[in-house]
Amino acid sequence: MKNWKLKEIVVMSVLSVVFAVVYLAFLPVGKVLTGFFGPIGYDFIFGIWFIVSIIAAYIIRKPGAAFLSETIAATVEVLLGNAAGPMLLISGMIQGLGAESAFAMTGYRRYNLGTLMFSGMMAAVFSFVWGYFQSGYAALAGGYVLLMFVTRLISGAILAGVAGKALSDALAKTGVLSGFALGKEKRKKHAA
Amino acid sequence: MYLNNLNPSVKALTILGLVVALALLFDPVTPALFTLVTIAVTFLFGDFRRKYYLFYLIPFTIFAVGMLWTTIAFADAPKNPSETVGLIWWEVPREDVLVAVSLSFRVLAFATMSLLFIFTTNMVEFLLSLMQQLRLPPKLAYGIMAGYRFLPMLTTEFRQIRAAHRVRGMGQESRWKRYRRFAVPLLAGAIRKAERTAVAMESKGFTGTRERTFYRNIRVRKKDWLFPAGMGAIFLLLILLSLRFDYFSWYQGQL
Repeated sequence: MKNWKLKEIVVMSVLSVVFAVVYLAFLPVGKVLTGFFGPIGYDFIFGIWFIVSIIAAYIIRKPGAAFLSETIAATVEVLLGNAAGPMLLISGMIQGLGAESAFAMTGYRRYNLGTLMFSGMMAAVFSFVWGYFQSGYAALAGGYVLLMFVTRLISGAILAGVAGKALSDALAKTGVLSGFALGKEKRKKHAA
Repeated sequence: MYLNNLNPSVKALTILGLVVALALLFDPVTPALFTLVTIAVTFLFGDFRRKYYLFYLIPFTIFAVGMLWTTIAFADAPKNPSETVGLIWWEVPREDVLVAVSLSFRVLAFATMSLLFIFTTNMVEFLLSLMQQLRLPPKLAYGIMAGYRFLPMLTTEFRQIRAAHRVRGMGQESRWKRYRRFAVPLLAGAIRKAERTAVAMESKGFTGTRERTFYRNIRVRKKDWLFPAGMGAIFLLLILLSLRFDYFSWYQGQL
């Protein structure tokens, strides 16, 4: 926490709080999709629930950003009240660890589209392994579980990775991120 | 009231421990009785607006009832189809009913426990306690406190942006495009405000080191241990009860 600037921490918490509300809003969407397609319904949009990790890490670019932002978002979700209750806290931390692992593997140096998509996919892998033991996918047929896994991987790459990058880039364009790693990088590119 | 004055860290860790313990088992009795105990404890020892509690509990109950119904209706072929229970005008296998009741009350037990915490805990006290008891870095804790404060401000901001767009004659496009039109200005405004808040905090001498004093000292007192001890004892008692009547089993991933 020593090499974090206070403004980075406050911005990370604000992003987490905002996306906690977004996450809660997407829970009923998942419920409806599950009603149509069965347990795989959630996996189509699962990437949404990783997005704050990718945005925070992409903007701030410090070790821990992906994990902390997802954990704070999960805590806020619990505090605002939802049916999953405190178990959600643990799921959030596991998803955050997954996203964080991708950035750790690249040494916190590369923040291109590929890395961000990889991060979304790692969050999908971690959350799927947790879900496999915790919410009983073991009871489902093997082929179906594989299909769920692949769907979640794609969702993580696109909804978290690609959409997270697009949203962050749109924010950087407004100039509000000039004091953060992402904004500085954009300015450097612009000057060159 | 006891629950409101309870040390927030002790309360949070107790609830987290109980939730993890509850997640490991799977029987209809323990979660059902534990839900009732939790609600009773919340009402007896907590001070909050009763009406709001019910307001929060209703959606959870609807969710649990929905789960009860779908689990019974879409259950796998039961192992002992001959054992049935009459549900009003309908004969259903006993096994399916037990699984459905277990699942629904699991959800309700989780929900009532988080409601116990949410309704009797002050967010600021919780963060102060996390700093003082569980050594959360002050930089992070005060950062989160500032961020959490933005939640009500965002609603105002949202109305303002909507009004601004409306005066300029926008708002006829599809729902999806409308969300995109709101997302960027809303987030940009929040980030701008967050940066200003951080500068204000630092200019008033906030360094974020652990070597700091607190205006409000939050301690763990002897009577705080009553909560984990009492809830733990009740939980064990319920498990014994469930074992006695042969309902008990571990959670094996039932959906």
